[in-house]
Amino acid sequence: MLFVFSMSLLEGSWSNVVDIFTLDHTGHIQVHKDDYAKRPKIHKTIENPAVVETTLKNHEDVTGWAPRVYSSALAYGGNKTSIARIFGIDPELEPTVTRILQKVSAGQYFSAQPNADGYFPAMIGRGLANSLRLDVGDEIVLISSGADGSIANDIFIITAIIGNTTSFDRLGVFLPLTVAQEFLSIGGEVHEFALLARNKHDNEQLAVELQSLMPSLNVSPWQQIEATFYRTMQSDKQGNYFTMALIVFIVFIGVLNTVLMSVLERTKEFGVLKSIGCRPSELVKLIFIETVMLASISISVGLALILPVIVWFTEVGIKLDISVDMGGVVFDTMKGDLSAYVVFMPMGFMLLTAALISLPPGLRAARILPRVALGSH
Amino acid sequence: MKTVIETKNLVRKFGEAQTQVTALSNVSTHIEEGEFTAIIGPSGSGKTTLLQLIGGLDEPDSGDVFLSGTNIANMSGRQLSDFRRDHIGFIFQSYNLIPVLSAQENIEYIMLLQGIDEKDRKTRVQEMLALVGLEGLGDRRPAQLSGGQQQRVAVARAMASKPDIILADEPTANLDSTTGIALLDMMRDLNAQMNMTFVFSTHDQKIMDRADRLIHLEDGIVHLDEIRNS
Ligand SMILES: Nc1ncnc2c1ncn2[C@@H]1O[C@H](COP(=O)(O)OP(=O)(O)O)[C@@H](O)[C@H]1O
Ligand SMILES: [Mg+2]
Repeated sequence: MLFVFSMSLLEGSWSNVVDIFTLDHTGHIQVHKDDYAKRPKIHKTIENPAVVETTLKNHEDVTGWAPRVYSSALAYGGNKTSIARIFGIDPELEPTVTRILQKVSAGQYFSAQPNADGYFPAMIGRGLANSLRLDVGDEIVLISSGADGSIANDIFIITAIIGNTTSFDRLGVFLPLTVAQEFLSIGGEVHEFALLARNKHDNEQLAVELQSLMPSLNVSPWQQIEATFYRTMQSDKQGNYFTMALIVFIVFIGVLNTVLMSVLERTKEFGVLKSIGCRPSELVKLIFIETVMLASISISVGLALILPVIVWFTEVGIKLDISVDMGGVVFDTMKGDLSAYVVFMPMGFMLLTAALISLPPGLRAARILPRVALGSH
Repeated sequence: MKTVIETKNLVRKFGEAQTQVTALSNVSTHIEEGEFTAIIGPSGSGKTTLLQLIGGLDEPDSGDVFLSGTNIANMSGRQLSDFRRDHIGFIFQSYNLIPVLSAQENIEYIMLLQGIDEKDRKTRVQEMLALVGLEGLGDRRPAQLSGGQQQRVAVARAMASKPDIILADEPTANLDSTTGIALLDMMRDLNAQMNMTFVFSTHDQKIMDRADRLIHLEDGIVHLDEIRNS
């Protein structure tokens, strides 16, 4: 049972972590020009985003996609300054990939429209808001350099605060895509497309497929984008599987020992059964059925006890007091993963184990001479 | 008279080399249908060994056991257990009831193995309980019965399958003498009523006095074979 539980937690916690950062920002797959993913430069833009858009829109395994532009800037609020990271996002399309709507912690999610005074909206990260002492409704001034080498500067009105001080975008300034493109003088071009796959487990395969459709660009699954994190996760999983294999082995030995002991203890009883005419094969059957029944009962009881816990973990999870930073991803809720695999794999394994384990003592009881069996206590 | 049990030159040794003990040496005897026979002799004389060999619970070093004319050495494990199930009933010195089963389940078990249907089993169990004088105690577990009552359950169990032969190894040794004699008298009555062949061992004088025939064992050798028609 512990086994079902830990499998659930292991699969669950990692799939959660992956969800957290893919749905926070990365998406399942990203499309870039050249090596933008490794060495971002403002001029490495995707020149014909319309082609990419059509490709993504028409692919049935792509459930959401969003274009983005990036740059860094200096931000002024009142008499304070800070460096900031500009995220140009499409207000309509970004929520189809990330959970940005849920990350609005104050104010309102923006649109691409300027306000009555002609100022465009911006949403800023909590970290930036704190250090510049800015709030919803305040003005923020951004200074950056455009792709053509010109100096870019403009005033924006803050409509929302995004995330918290530990989010990756705590120093971010979100601008509507078209506004960001103009600010940075990159025309209609973008730096990145992020997209979601219909089945998150098939994203690597989908990436290969999309790559062949767009040979002039670079299509990367999140496993490549977040290579360091991915390696950490893989080795952690392996370590955990090893631990579990060890636990299973110990359990196996324990069960074997229990079954063997109970059969040994009852040697005399089996001797009696044999002397009143129980066939050897009937003894094997008897021991087999008893063991499997015992295993079934204990599995059912165990499952009945653990299932609510797993369900609760899957649905609610434990809100950790301290958020754990795993490979750059903030992990503050521990959740389980409930699937047939997680529940039935260990159960089936236990039953099979019990069935197998019952055989050697069963055969031993079947072969022993009744005189020897009767003589033991 | 029909010979139901025959042993020919039975030899059974235990242990190796220096410490080897010859429990039985060259025991040849035959027992007829319906006899009420006691195997007697001091402790260590080979009584248990002989009964176990006759019942096929143990294998001799040499010699043969014939039951109703069939050499049991030629039977497969399954044939032997089926033969025991249908033709032999065992009674042990220490009762050997299955502790987790009630008295009636203990009696019923062998009929279950015989594939007798439930209705017949239940009637037969009641019959058997009445026969050994334990009406109404069928639901009790062995631990809730006295030694004498447990041994009566064991007798009922041994007889439930309607065997031809009952083998009993010192059935009264764990009972006080009054209970022991009562048990033996009961066995005697059953023997007379049902024409089952009884072979039991004892070293108790009062018990052996009730047998028709006494086979005296000493150091694994048959010393004397007395037929006493009282
Ligand atoms: N399992 C055994 N191992 C060694 N010696 C045994 C074993 N069983 C019986 N014996 C020896 O065989 C002899 C006969 O034993 P047994 O048939 O039990 O005698 P009885 O039942 O008349 O007391 C004894 O000397 C006993 O010590
Ligand atoms: Mg003995």
